[in-house]
Amino acid sequence: MIGEILLSLSLALVWLGGVGMVRFRAPYCRLQVAGVADIGGAVLFLTGLIVYSGWHVTGGLMIALILFLLFTGPLATHAIAKSAFVVGVRD
Amino acid sequence: MILLVEVLLGLSAIPPLLVLWRGPTLWDRLAGASSLNLRVALILAAHAALSGHGILLDVALAYAIFGFLGTVLVARFGERGER
Repeated sequence: MIGEILLSLSLALVWLGGVGMVRFRAPYCRLQVAGVADIGGAVLFLTGLIVYSGWHVTGGLMIALILFLLFTGPLATHAIAKSAFVVGVRD
Repeated sequence: MILLVEVLLGLSAIPPLLVLWRGPTLWDRLAGASSLNLRVALILAAHAALSGHGILLDVALAYAIFGFLGTVLVARFGERGER
């Protein structure tokens, strides 16, 4: 039951990230949406998968995937934003 | 239930494709590419849970690593400012 709630919440987050990405025109707004909504939705989704499908199927690897996404998601959006800022994108 | 989740995740990959197609600047496209990588890794993880094959999780982790690497490299390339 909890797994379904988590999965549906994270799907809503991921979908809102997608809608927000199309809706905003400026690169920085899209980066903000891609960084926040997607990573949050992804982490929630993976925890929902752990709760839903039980520990034996996913095991520690899902924790590794969650931790990896938590660390590298904001890193990627920071790298993109920095390169845009250095080149001079000031919308 | 997970099949429905997978289908919805697959459908949710459309907005980043739109951004990739339409985004005027390189950095819009990079944001779309990074978001697309994330969604593909999520679909892989969901399929691993659905079909029970644990090996797909390794594939999802490897895909996330290389997707992140590619995004950062292209972002660093964009810093040189030819565009």
